[in-house]
Amino acid sequence: MRLTGLICIVGGWVIAVAGLFLMTSNSGRLLFASGGILVSVFGILGVLNRYYLGRAIWKK
Amino acid sequence: MRLRKLSASILLAILVVIPFLGFTTIAKAEGTALTDKDLSSITGPKTDDIAAKGDPGDDLTGTVNDVTISDSKKGLTLSDLVNQAGQNKIAINFVWTLVTGFLVMFMQAGFALVETGLTRAKNANHTMMMNFMVYGLGLFAYWVCGFAIQMGGSAPIANLGGVYPLNHEFSINLFGKPWNLFGTKGFFLHGATYDVGVMVLFLFQMVFMDTAATIVTGGCAERWKYSAFCVSSVGLAALTYPLFGNWAWGGGWLSQLGANFGLGHGYCDFAGSGVVHAVGGISAMAVAMMLGPRIGKFNRNGSPNVIPGHDIVLVLTGCFILAFGWFGFNPGSTLGASGNGCLRIGSIAVNTMLAGCTGSFGALLYMWMRYGKPDASMAGNGLLAGLVAITAPSGFVNTLGAAIIGWIAGILVCLSVEFFDRVPKIDDPVGAISVHGTCGLWGVLSVGLFADGRSNYGGSWNGVPGSVKGLFYGDAGQLVAQLIGVATLVGVIFTLTFLWNWLVDIFVGQRCHPKSELAGLDIPEMGALCYPDFQLKAQDYPTANSGSPAGSPSSAKY
Repeated sequence: MRLTGLICIVGGWVIAVAGLFLMTSNSGRLLFASGGILVSVFGILGVLNRYYLGRAIWKK
Repeated sequence: MRLRKLSASILLAILVVIPFLGFTTIAKAEGTALTDKDLSSITGPKTDDIAAKGDPGDDLTGTVNDVTISDSKKGLTLSDLVNQAGQNKIAINFVWTLVTGFLVMFMQAGFALVETGLTRAKNANHTMMMNFMVYGLGLFAYWVCGFAIQMGGSAPIANLGGVYPLNHEFSINLFGKPWNLFGTKGFFLHGATYDVGVMVLFLFQMVFMDTAATIVTGGCAERWKYSAFCVSSVGLAALTYPLFGNWAWGGGWLSQLGANFGLGHGYCDFAGSGVVHAVGGISAMAVAMMLGPRIGKFNRNGSPNVIPGHDIVLVLTGCFILAFGWFGFNPGSTLGASGNGCLRIGSIAVNTMLAGCTGSFGALLYMWMRYGKPDASMAGNGLLAGLVAITAPSGFVNTLGAAIIGWIAGILVCLSVEFFDRVPKIDDPVGAISVHGTCGLWGVLSVGLFADGRSNYGGSWNGVPGSVKGLFYGDAGQLVAQLIGVATLVGVIFTLTFLWNWLVDIFVGQRCHPKSELAGLDIPEMGALCYPDFQLKAQDYPTANSGSPAGSPSSAKY
């Protein structure tokens, strides 16, 4: 779960940077960068944090 | 009639000829070159006179006598004068950068007070000691390798006389574009980097790094094992902070997005909303998530409780110290006060105070309208949020932009604190993730929106000619560059921080024992109480779905 989260987080950055090479227009690059950020945030809050929430001290 | 015409002609001739004669006289004077011989006739006041009478009127001090002469046989020469002028310019910049660096160093005291005030009395020694030792631990790691990684390949900095020894950057070629990754000169500040300019740069950059490191201690307070804190802080100072610092400020790939991909002036972060505050805030989030919440922060149904801090006086005094130190943080980031547009320090200082002010307004009004009381700790956090947000754009925006950026940050910090409490349930005792992470990222983006294209620091920024302009002033590419910076902070810096702290968790263990946490960390971790003469009471937590923001020492009901 933690590795999946980390892959997702780094994957978001790769998407953002890939836009620099794949797109030439600012709007296209803006979309790629925004999409990449959303993927990374999902990896942090949706995957990695969910793993730790499942083991949270207040649930025991 | 004739006489009148004649006198008119004479008058016209006088009007035309006299200025012409004046011009030629001036031109002759300007054309005459000053020689060493001319300088030999200049004499200063006699030292005997000064010795006998003193100089109460400031007429005899700071004269030709004070110009350094390279060869006493030749006397004063033109080259002596020119060298003295250059020395004076660099001296002004050295003194400015050092004094502002000293102000930033004093911010450590502000952070210590804010964080200690926002935590419970039973953990005060532990919280204070984390803030105290992060300075030394960070400094040492940064001297060993952090500075070299960050600034070892930086381009010459004219304001500090060049700092030419920092001249080697590790770089790879990716799809035909150079990607500068980290510097390789300046480990232990030995060899050619034993240089006056490098030392000034080191001091200034070191105190910035320490600011980032001390942010993490707030987000992880009241449950972080002290030994784990020590190892974790060394990792930030030696690796994660310097890497992003290099990419943004040391000539790294983010700063080259303008030159390589035509994105505005590349990633622009004047004083460090991203480099310092977002790195600190994001690192705090990674570690706080790993540590888990404090015992008592959440009920079994997941609803959050208020865990009040113990001293609002410490908190607000700390906020004032931080606001004072920020005048070193932002205006000092010009790295000089003379030449290359550095006189903009006045504008930068005003932007800084204005954004802090509107930040506290925004937070105060939000809390007042939402909860019926003007919450003191969130007003303080609003001030800090405004200051964090204006840090990146302070050198590129006008006062209206600064006021708007600060205002938005003040509201954003309240929303963010509520969000982290209620949705991902990440326990952040002082609101560090929201103040520095969320508002740091907002500051980075605001450069891409509000930069007005009026700043001019030597005619170019990050190797791209012209002034930095945001979307509202016609350059969408700048906003894209800033977004790439945000993606890097969230995607790469978070990951590196998480991996390092994962290792710390495996080999050292991040969280202290629950019994220690319940007793308070002062005795189990530090061996001494912060307030031995006081009787500490057990905390009675409300169990209702209070949904209070973190970092609130006041007992106001939300």
